[in-house]
Amino acid sequence: MVSAEDPVPAPAEAMSIASPINLILLSLFVLLVYMHLRPSSPVTLPEAPPPVVFRTFTPTTLLPNNGQGDKPVYLAVRGRVFDVTPGKGFYGPGGPYENFAGRDATRGLACQSFDEEMLTKDLKGPLDDLKGLDEEQLENLQNWEERFLEKYLVVGKLVAEGDPEAPKASE
Amino acid sequence: MASEASTLSKVDALLTDVLADWNIYSTLILGGIVAFVILSFVLSKEPDIHPFLLARQATASPVRQPGESAAYRSLETPYGFPLRSGLGVKDPDAPKWTSGRRGDLRDIWKAAVRGSVKDDGSFGKQGKIYTVLGRQAVEHSLDQITQEMNVIGKHFESAQVKTVAICLTDSVELLASIFAGAFYGFRTIIIPHNLPEEALAAHLQKAQVEALIAEAGAVDLSTVAKANEQLSHVLWVAKIGSRHMDWNGVPEDVKDSLTVTVWHELVEEKKDLAGFEVPSWDPASPTPVLTTVWPSSSQSGEFIDYQPENLAAGISAVGASLPRNHRFNSDDLVLSIDSLSRSYPLCQVMAALFTNASVALNSVAGEDVDFALATAGVSPTVIVASSRTMSDYHEKFMRPHTGIISSIARWFQVRNLDSGVMPSQNVFSQLANIGPTAELSLDKLRLLCISHRFDAPSDVRLSSEQLTDFRIFTGARIAYALTGPGIAGAITQTSIFDYRRFDGPSHFGAPLSSAEVILTDFPEDAGLEKAVEGKITAAGPSVVDGRTTLPAQARFRSDNALELC
Repeated sequence: MVSAEDPVPAPAEAMSIASPINLILLSLFVLLVYMHLRPSSPVTLPEAPPPVVFRTFTPTTLLPNNGQGDKPVYLAVRGRVFDVTPGKGFYGPGGPYENFAGRDATRGLACQSFDEEMLTKDLKGPLDDLKGLDEEQLENLQNWEERFLEKYLVVGKLVAEGDPEAPKASE
Repeated sequence: MASEASTLSKVDALLTDVLADWNIYSTLILGGIVAFVILSFVLSKEPDIHPFLLARQATASPVRQPGESAAYRSLETPYGFPLRSGLGVKDPDAPKWTSGRRGDLRDIWKAAVRGSVKDDGSFGKQGKIYTVLGRQAVEHSLDQITQEMNVIGKHFESAQVKTVAICLTDSVELLASIFAGAFYGFRTIIIPHNLPEEALAAHLQKAQVEALIAEAGAVDLSTVAKANEQLSHVLWVAKIGSRHMDWNGVPEDVKDSLTVTVWHELVEEKKDLAGFEVPSWDPASPTPVLTTVWPSSSQSGEFIDYQPENLAAGISAVGASLPRNHRFNSDDLVLSIDSLSRSYPLCQVMAALFTNASVALNSVAGEDVDFALATAGVSPTVIVASSRTMSDYHEKFMRPHTGIISSIARWFQVRNLDSGVMPSQNVFSQLANIGPTAELSLDKLRLLCISHRFDAPSDVRLSSEQLTDFRIFTGARIAYALTGPGIAGAITQTSIFDYRRFDGPSHFGAPLSSAEVILTDFPEDAGLEKAVEGKITAAGPSVVDGRTTLPAQARFRSDNALELC
């Protein structure tokens, strides 16, 4: 069946290494090797939020931190200021404990009462000295404090107006 | 539709044209590609540690004091958790669930003598202690050292000596004296051995030392004793080669006030009384203070009084800073070529003894030694060295001897390191490493613990590239630690899996689990956005007096690793 006239392929021309297909394959190879060997930069993670600066508050400077608008919710227990913003639903505006936002909540927590009367009226006056609390109420306060320490950050301390540690009015 | 069809047919025609040229070379190239892809899949390895753990190496506290950075802590003991405060020694009669006692030096020696604990609770083999003298290593049995410790301890106990200065090269006598102090209740002061006589006399005077242990013939007694009236006992340690000499002579002028004894004679004389048993003790009783001298710029140096709790925390943290599978174990031989009078080598050696690893001590050990000479004689798995020693070795030997073959092999192995994998040693890499490591005989080396004094000159700070060279040419992982006075062990230490390369001097990693690091004296009003720069302040159980500030500026990088400014 084989005819002698069948054209014989010219191997020398067809076997060129410089054909388009070979060039494509070669460049693919080079690309792969480059991808494999190129220097990779170390992994970086997104920046963590900057730490909150510990501050010394007086009742007056604590007051604005009551959760209104974008403000954080702070409350003070026995001289320690807690950032309770994660529990804004409870301690923020509209929450059951909203009276405590930006205030010294010590007496209120001890008495399990969330009424206005529990708060120290005179912001310029001395801090609540916790007089008149019985043993059970003090233990109650202790429990609250431990729970707060577990859950929330201490971001500052509360001192009375005119205390030597209190920041100057200009600050 | 028509145009689309024609485009498609054009593409089809083009493809046919291109593929029509397919020939034997195409097949070969395609085969090459397939082989390369398969090989790179087969040969690729998981990184030794998850990259995220290197991208954030320490935790920062969410609240900071004004003028200070946040407190940075080891990932092991993050904010809100107690810092590591002790060795966690479990007494045999203690309930299983307790976390263990804090422990002290006595527990370390007890653990070393007891031998390793196997899984079934039985005791395995003891570690060994070698002293390297030139090219030859002498083996000592732990029982023998216990006996010497008992003899020396009883000797000073009966003489009612409360303060003993040890001025020796790294040796078993130095170790025995330290443990004798812990067991027999005298304060030990480790004084570097190569000080001039006046400086030594001043140290003894300052610490009101009553007894001195020193190398026979190395100290001129009359100078030292004249300046120290309280000094009543001198114990000479004679080297093996000079034991035939009579060291009992006392200079005429101080003959009345001084009692001179020789270590090996004392041990020989009293060894029957002392016994091989480790003395028993009440765990509630404290061990005395151990004092080291931190070389300061002035000649005098600064005394650092390590309380037993500082040492326990530091030793424990140094041991725990290594990943679980890479901690010291009873198969290790830990060689310290840095002097035991420095807290990092001391804590590493104690950690090794506590985990029943074998320990090799070198009499030439110090901050500035010849790495190749000091490591000859034994084949350690772990070496503890100073940054100066390593930097000198890199400068004087390793770099000049890195030839073309070594550089090519290094280039390939750096790819491995960059992808987080420690390159494995094979015939090819060994051939390539012949040049840079020709002087070394470190076939089993797996870990290099390098410490850098915070106040050492900045030219001995190791760069990332130097550390990479050590990794590749010695085949060992590296823990690079920053040390300072008043902090037992180290302040921070790099992760041994951190192979990342950066420009300039290397960072020092994350704080150890026994202390937190705060950068103080941060100028609050200088307009700096982040409070991550200031003076190094360490606080925690391993820190003398709980908190100390070093006069050195440092910075926490974005991966929470500390670097010196």
